[in-house]
Amino acid sequence: MNHIAAKPAPVETEALTLMLGDRVLLDRASLRVERGQVLAVTGGAGSGKTALLGALAGRPPAGVDVAGGVRIDGHLLIAQGGRLAPRRPLALQVAEVVGHHLGLDLRGALRRMADGLDRMGVPPAARRFDLPPEQLPDSLRWACLFAMAAAVGPAVLLVDAPAAGLDPTVRLRLLHRLADWARADGVALILAGRPEDGVAGPADHVLALRRGRLLPPIPLRAGPLEPLEPPGTARLHARGVGMSYPLAPGPRGEARSLAVLHGIDLDLRTGETLVLLGETGSAKATLARSLLCLPPPTAGTVVWMGRDLMAAATPPAAGEEPNHGGLRRARRDLQPLFPDPAASFDPAMTVGTQLALVLENLRPDIAADRRDHRIDEALEEAGLRPEAALRWPAALTAAEAAHAGLARAILSEPRVLVADEPAAGLSAEERERFLDTLMAVRDRRRLSLILATERYGEGLRDAHRGIVMLAGRVVESADAGTLRTAPLHPYSRAMLAASLGGRPALEGDAPSAFGQPAGCPLRRRCPLAREFCAQAVPELEEVASGHHVACHYWDTPAEE
Amino acid sequence: MAEFDQPPLSQPEPQPTGFARGLSGAAVLAALALAAAAAPLMADGSALHRLDADPVAAALLDGRGSLSFALLAAVLGGALGIGWALLAGLAGTLVGKGAERRIVIAAQRMAGWPLALLVPLAGGLLGQVWLLALVTALTAAPAVAALAHAELSVLMRAEFLTAARAAALPEREVLRRHLIPNLMRPLLAAGTLALPRVLAAESFASLLGLGLPPTLGSWGASVGLAARLGDPVAFAPPALLLALALWAACAIADGVAAGVRKP
Repeated sequence: MNHIAAKPAPVETEALTLMLGDRVLLDRASLRVERGQVLAVTGGAGSGKTALLGALAGRPPAGVDVAGGVRIDGHLLIAQGGRLAPRRPLALQVAEVVGHHLGLDLRGALRRMADGLDRMGVPPAARRFDLPPEQLPDSLRWACLFAMAAAVGPAVLLVDAPAAGLDPTVRLRLLHRLADWARADGVALILAGRPEDGVAGPADHVLALRRGRLLPPIPLRAGPLEPLEPPGTARLHARGVGMSYPLAPGPRGEARSLAVLHGIDLDLRTGETLVLLGETGSAKATLARSLLCLPPPTAGTVVWMGRDLMAAATPPAAGEEPNHGGLRRARRDLQPLFPDPAASFDPAMTVGTQLALVLENLRPDIAADRRDHRIDEALEEAGLRPEAALRWPAALTAAEAAHAGLARAILSEPRVLVADEPAAGLSAEERERFLDTLMAVRDRRRLSLILATERYGEGLRDAHRGIVMLAGRVVESADAGTLRTAPLHPYSRAMLAASLGGRPALEGDAPSAFGQPAGCPLRRRCPLAREFCAQAVPELEEVASGHHVACHYWDTPAEE
Repeated sequence: MAEFDQPPLSQPEPQPTGFARGLSGAAVLAALALAAAAAPLMADGSALHRLDADPVAAALLDGRGSLSFALLAAVLGGALGIGWALLAGLAGTLVGKGAERRIVIAAQRMAGWPLALLVPLAGGLLGQVWLLALVTALTAAPAVAALAHAELSVLMRAEFLTAARAAALPEREVLRRHLIPNLMRPLLAAGTLALPRVLAAESFASLLGLGLPPTLGSWGASVGLAARLGDPVAFAPPALLLALALWAACAIADGVAAGVRKP
């Protein structure tokens, strides 16, 4: 017997097969993860990622049959969403797990947790873990779960959909911290998630679960489908667009309001694609809706082809004739795509009826007997079969609903599409397919497109110009090539790093809309922040032709 | 043309469980109503005297009073509650959000009060059946109003209304084509909540002898009388029928609400 035999890898599978009924989720996969290695398994919805992790942990989900051999050392599984009881204090729940694994009492477990939280970079001031999970932000919940793993110190850590639903910059920061810990402590780490969840970023190896096989991932399209044509003249002008929502009156009865959008100027040229980039709370969606006057913004003007949209959209004063013609004309030219396409269809009508209603209303010039033909054409152009018109919205999948939403938007032959995260609910392949369809439609019809998204790389890929937004302000605007390669604002740089899977140089979470810091809204997270940042909100300044940045210290290196 | 392969791993949503219960509740209530309507036929065609009839026939005769009163009061209560919610919605559009909030908070607070105690009070003081029905309806209305308003405010925020406005549909048409068709079922579901409430309130009042007049007959009154006389044979049928009717009314309300809820 060889006494210095290499230790076996902590995770090894031998022809692991997973079946759900008669469907093969995973076909004879052999997998080996060494100590200190980080493996990411990506796959679309329902591809079997959760079943794979469950099988590795020895607890496959109900209905999944496992065949083949699995050998795994002492492991810890963090399930999808963390599986926390919503109303019990988080510290107790986590300390129980730590105590159970290590045989510690509550006090000892909490002390181990504090070490774990240090390693996950949670500052002591942010540790409000005596609150129940439902009162904590998602990022803190995930940091606490990762800290729990670090406190337990298993040989293998399996994490299902880690930090899904967080903003990209926050998610990547946490995932990199977790990967650093795994590499330093020699833990085999397996991250499973959808491709768009960024689990591939910090991993050493990435495998995509596709049609029952674990294969190398297909790289996403990096450039536009076809070379972009140069845009024409500006038709849509927004000046000083601002939005504020009324709040309950203050203690002395004074009116209060919450401003979420601060004086945005924007021009959109014909055939131009403009992408609005920003994470939660950046008010990109509010800006998109304000441009459509759905509802009209509370400040500024939106002018489409020389016509003031806000005047047309506001209800006329008593006694005046409403200006239906002007508004209808503008609505016909400017069409929205909604973030939740399934909810944007009336559940009490078939898709076709709703499309017919749109056509009847926006294009009264089309004869009633030609409408069905138009609807079929639009559905086919949007990538659906014409029979989709007969279906009820509840019977559509998320992807079909997105395509049906696109069909509705192009039905009136608009000139501008304003899309607010149009593929937010779709996963990987569906998402690519939808965006390809959208871009094909745009190119064929020479449409202007405004695309609001939090995915930096994906948004800029097909765009002429990008605007990076933060807390209701523009922090950087430049052409897409510049933003893709050399953004100047620290927030843009962090978003770029996150989209490439790197480590964003921002600490902590975005502040809530009610607790914005004075001065620059990024200053508490920013690596360039200095004292002066608290004193003034930076103005947009032109640093090169067509490139604007709002940062006091964009050209200064970070202080040590 | 796009294909959408890769079916999701999760199973399709099962039929909401409340649906089957609601259906059986409706069947039971319909059977009870039919039996109560057919009860006089059990007396060989002659006029039936409640006290010397056999207990089951007497209980079925009582059901005529209880069920018809409950139906009347539930329709009134449901209509009042829905009207209350619509009034709040209207106030929100015309006056301001503050007015809407005050009207709804009033309904929510009152739904927590023991309003059912008003029914025996009204039975003792007023004496007229239609006044009693009105008071009973009022006791059920706040709960209906709170639920109906919740449904209304969810619908008012629905994305498809924004989509309709993006298609330049005038507000009048949005109301006619989208709002009203989608509002019917949730409002009906909120309205059916009144049925078990008024049935229980009336039976409670009649049990105390302060409910429906003796000529109409009521399960609650018969149960109370049998309990006072210590007669188990006369006690069981009305008590069982009342329990059955209450279960059926609750099951219907649940079933309609489950049918409205989106998966």
